[in-house]
Amino acid sequence: MSVLDFLSPVRRGRLLPRTARPQPLRRLRRAWDRLKAALPRQVLLPAAILVVLAGIVHLVTILAMPILAQNTAFHRLSQLAPANQMTLLPDATPADMTLPMTDPAFVTAVCLYDLRARPLRLRVPASEDYTSVSFYTARGVAFYALNDQAAGRVIELDLLSPAQRAALPEDEEITAADRLVVESPSERGIALIRAYARYPDLRPQIRRQLEAANCAPSN
Amino acid sequence: MRPLSLALLLAAAAALGLTATFMAVTQSRGMDAVHSGAWTGWPRSGTTQADPYARAAFARSGELPIELADGLLFLATKDNGGAPLDGRCDIRIVGQLPQARVWTLTVMDEDGRLIANDAHRYGFTSNEVVFRPDGAVDVALSPKAQAGNWLPTGGRARVKVALRLYDAPFSFSSATGESSALPSVQTERCP
Repeated sequence: MSVLDFLSPVRRGRLLPRTARPQPLRRLRRAWDRLKAALPRQVLLPAAILVVLAGIVHLVTILAMPILAQNTAFHRLSQLAPANQMTLLPDATPADMTLPMTDPAFVTAVCLYDLRARPLRLRVPASEDYTSVSFYTARGVAFYALNDQAAGRVIELDLLSPAQRAALPEDEEITAADRLVVESPSERGIALIRAYARYPDLRPQIRRQLEAANCAPSN
Repeated sequence: MRPLSLALLLAAAAALGLTATFMAVTQSRGMDAVHSGAWTGWPRSGTTQADPYARAAFARSGELPIELADGLLFLATKDNGGAPLDGRCDIRIVGQLPQARVWTLTVMDEDGRLIANDAHRYGFTSNEVVFRPDGAVDVALSPKAQAGNWLPTGGRARVKVALRLYDAPFSFSSATGESSALPSVQTERCP
């Protein structure tokens, strides 16, 4: 089966093809029946309580992880990037990677945004090659991305919080102008700008081009 | 139930639940894994539909997953035969790649770090790699220099390979035929 067969339903927002679920359930049930026959009540009840409690602990910690984690991308980037300002990240090397699993073929810049006071305006002149802007909430959930081919020579957009978006007049000139309005589900987050360097010796040139990118609070 | 055994039960439950959480955030990248040969991808991890396991794993590691509209990551930690990728062996990645504007192939150690080497070569981009006349790629992973597309593995006991497809037209074409399969990963010789 090919990759695309899997991906097309995802893109249309449907669930992935269901795998055979009942099989393991039935097996579990049979194992449970066998266990009940083999073990006395005094052992079985505490064991059941143990499993249920462990399940609750597991689910709560998984759900709390994005809130409690101390080493998230947002925390890491806050160490070296001021808010509402474009910062070029150092190149990924074997010794050091600012964010794990960074693609070494890309030059990366970040803008940690804070929309509490004002919306953000982002402007990224695309390099000759593939350039993209992706947005993440402070908890690391990706919510929007676009690349130079979708946006044109210069990627230019306004990032608004839900409240700011709601306050925006519907038929304002802004929508008519050639500017893209993106709504961020969170007030703080990360704009990640990545420019592709097809050969390593093009990196300095692409870094210079990315220096022209900026993000700043608007009006 | 006596207080002592109750306390014991609670402690055991906490330990069990935390162990399960630790395993989940270190091993998994979400529950929506799609497999193609040796490769595994998590298409929903880079969207707002990312499941709690994906969110927990990325919050812990500090990784920013590639947005699905930007690109898609596939990881290989085993070869097509199911054997773990051993950096001391000669491994070959051969085959056609799906249509994408740009793709990159990167070798990492077990923990996801790049492997230091004199050539400063950590991977190939779709522009750097030398294609075969039929349009397929043929990349050799080996601790020793090889002719052709060579990626040094530094002789690490475990390596993993990331294939990232950027601006791939997944959304528009459902099944474009055989060209959508991912290349095969084969271990050839082990010392």
